[in-house]
Amino acid sequence: MIFSDVTRLAVRNLREAKLRTTLTSLGVAIGIASLVGMVSLGVGLQELTVGQFKKSGIFDSITVFPENRAFRRGGPMRMGRRAAENKAPEPSKPPEPLDDKAVQKLSALPNVREVYPNLRLPVEVKYENFSEFASALGIPLSSRGEGVFQKITYGSFFNNDTDDACLLSMDFARNMTSEDPKNLIGKTLSLGYASAMDIAGALANLPMGGMNVQRVEKKFTILGIIEREPGPNFGGGLFSSVMIPLKKAEDAGATDFTNPQALLQGLSNKKSYMMITVRVRRMQDTEDVEKKIKDLGFNAFSINDALQGAKKAFLILDVLLGLIGSIALAVASLGIVNTMVMSILERTREIGVMKAIGGSDWDIRKIFFVEASLIGLVGGVVGVVLGWSVDKIIGFAANFYVTRQGGTPAQMFFTPWWLVLGGIGFSILVSFLAGSYPANRAARIDPIKALRHD
Amino acid sequence: MAAIIEVQDLKRHYPMGHTVVRALDGVSFAVQPGEFVGLLGTSGSGKSTLLNLIAGLDTPTSGRLKIFDQNLDQMSREQLSLHRRKNVGIIFQSFNLIATMTALENITLALMFAGMPRVEREQHAANLLRAVGLSDRAAHRPSELSGGEQQRVSIARAMANSPAILLADEPTGNLDSKTAKEILDILETLNRQEGKTIVMVTHDAVLATRYAHRIIQLSDGQIVANGTSHEPAGGTA
Ligand SMILES: Nc1ncnc2c1ncn2[C@@H]1O[C@H](COP(=O)(O)OP(=O)(O)OP(=O)(O)O)[C@@H](O)[C@H]1O
Ligand SMILES: [Mg+2]
Repeated sequence: MIFSDVTRLAVRNLREAKLRTTLTSLGVAIGIASLVGMVSLGVGLQELTVGQFKKSGIFDSITVFPENRAFRRGGPMRMGRRAAENKAPEPSKPPEPLDDKAVQKLSALPNVREVYPNLRLPVEVKYENFSEFASALGIPLSSRGEGVFQKITYGSFFNNDTDDACLLSMDFARNMTSEDPKNLIGKTLSLGYASAMDIAGALANLPMGGMNVQRVEKKFTILGIIEREPGPNFGGGLFSSVMIPLKKAEDAGATDFTNPQALLQGLSNKKSYMMITVRVRRMQDTEDVEKKIKDLGFNAFSINDALQGAKKAFLILDVLLGLIGSIALAVASLGIVNTMVMSILERTREIGVMKAIGGSDWDIRKIFFVEASLIGLVGGVVGVVLGWSVDKIIGFAANFYVTRQGGTPAQMFFTPWWLVLGGIGFSILVSFLAGSYPANRAARIDPIKALRHD
Repeated sequence: MAAIIEVQDLKRHYPMGHTVVRALDGVSFAVQPGEFVGLLGTSGSGKSTLLNLIAGLDTPTSGRLKIFDQNLDQMSREQLSLHRRKNVGIIFQSFNLIATMTALENITLALMFAGMPRVEREQHAANLLRAVGLSDRAAHRPSELSGGEQQRVSIARAMANSPAILLADEPTGNLDSKTAKEILDILETLNRQEGKTIVMVTHDAVLATRYAHRIIQLSDGQIVANGTSHEPAGGTA
């Protein structure tokens, strides 16, 4: 029998039992809706997170740390710890310092576009009556339009690294003034910092060993204010309360005071950094360069690492949500088995007649398989639409609530096209499998017994 | 002429608990092409069992069963379905039309299993309905047809794939004598004009002797008489 005729018969049979077909398909639809809804949630959360990654970080940048035991026990970058554990330092060899020599070595690696240290300068910020300690971060001019600098909320990015200009975080700007932070653009604030300069033995009685720590105060123009969306911040995600051009931070003679090792090395008249950022030419070079950096004896971390980790975690979440969503589908598939077995009992005589007039076992089997698959197709299509609609409603309601509570609305559910097709396909597959028992049972029916059946 | 149906020591036993029901217990005979054979016997004598074996709906416990020199007793289920589709057309006492299908659809169903394209099979089914005088009932469901009409649809269905053999199990059992005669006349015409070989089960000896060329009588699963009918076929009612 040709396939179109099998389908014709299957459709006929389903139509003969409209109510039963409708209810069974609805069961499948609910199963698929719950599956699609759950996976949409997983995918939506993943998209949100990956989106945050993309906003907060730069994909072609690698953060380099010194290979350091103290760091491994839990440095400021928790995610970096894993990367550090991958390669335990050899105990006999002292860790490679992150100094200017290291910058040169890193710059010499193939496919490296740019290398710059991450300089943080503890500063006292003064503006009118406001005064607060903060950390000023040196930003390379090449960061223009990248990471958090994709969108400058008010004002603009640095024009050059010669002007005494700074960028502020929105939170910090709000603390500084009771007015609209927008009005701060163009205003001047003063940064007070301690500049460490070596003055050979001249003032030996100063604190901090052999270093001359000199307080400097400088005026900076507020060029821009950046609202950063909450989310992970690492890799190339340069961000701080106060940001000044990298060149300015270097000129300030800033030793990284947050780095105790640097302070110690300061004693031996050698500058070293807490972190160095390496930018590669193309995103796909990241992995390779990261490996080379580690081979040099440094510890490296890129947003790609975190992203891969997060993606793995989300895959597990998706599978879990999918399994939960599948419970309803499993129940629905039992419904299919039940419906089909009922229908076989009702149509036993008919099956006998079909066999008597030349229907083969396979013809009968195909009819029932197609019936089950059609239930799956209809249930799948309706289910995907249903799941999508329910997601929209829940998403809308949740965002309504979140907005009223003063939060930012987010798209929690995301239904990609593969999920739509996959949902329908899975529905057909599950229904097909559920139909296999009834179909085989129908195919094996003894025509003589069936013809005697009422 | 080679026999179209050849049966040798055919047995069909049903094990029932500790005993065995010998529905058919060593039957041998042959049917020539174009013959009209009547199977007579009391209830439970094994007539339907024998007919179902020839139809390929059942498989024998032992013995030989040849149709067109093909051994049915050694066929797979798939081959048996092909045999039912191509070689035989079956007519039942209770018509066995599919209740949810119209007269025409019941006939096209048989053509569907044979893989005939839609337009062609609808044309062919309409012709078959005309041949049994039911052109105006094509769109009627079995419940809207009389017994005689239903049996005519079922004959048309049996003829659908142009089988050489028609097997009828008490085709007039549910019909009054006038309608019964009409049905048997159709079978006789098919036998005479189209050369169909017919094996018909009946327990009406009068009808059997009137229409069949030969009568095989069964009793307790065995043949007790196998001889030419003396009354001329189509004799006076
Ligand atoms: N599936 C079965 N299991 C057990 N016994 C069976 C089965 N089918 C038939 N029989 C037995 O085989 C014998 C022959 O049955 P069959 O139906 O061939 O009789 P029949 O001659 O057609 O009778 P009737 O004229 O009443 O239709 C009967 O005794 C019946 O009980
Ligand atoms: Mg019988």
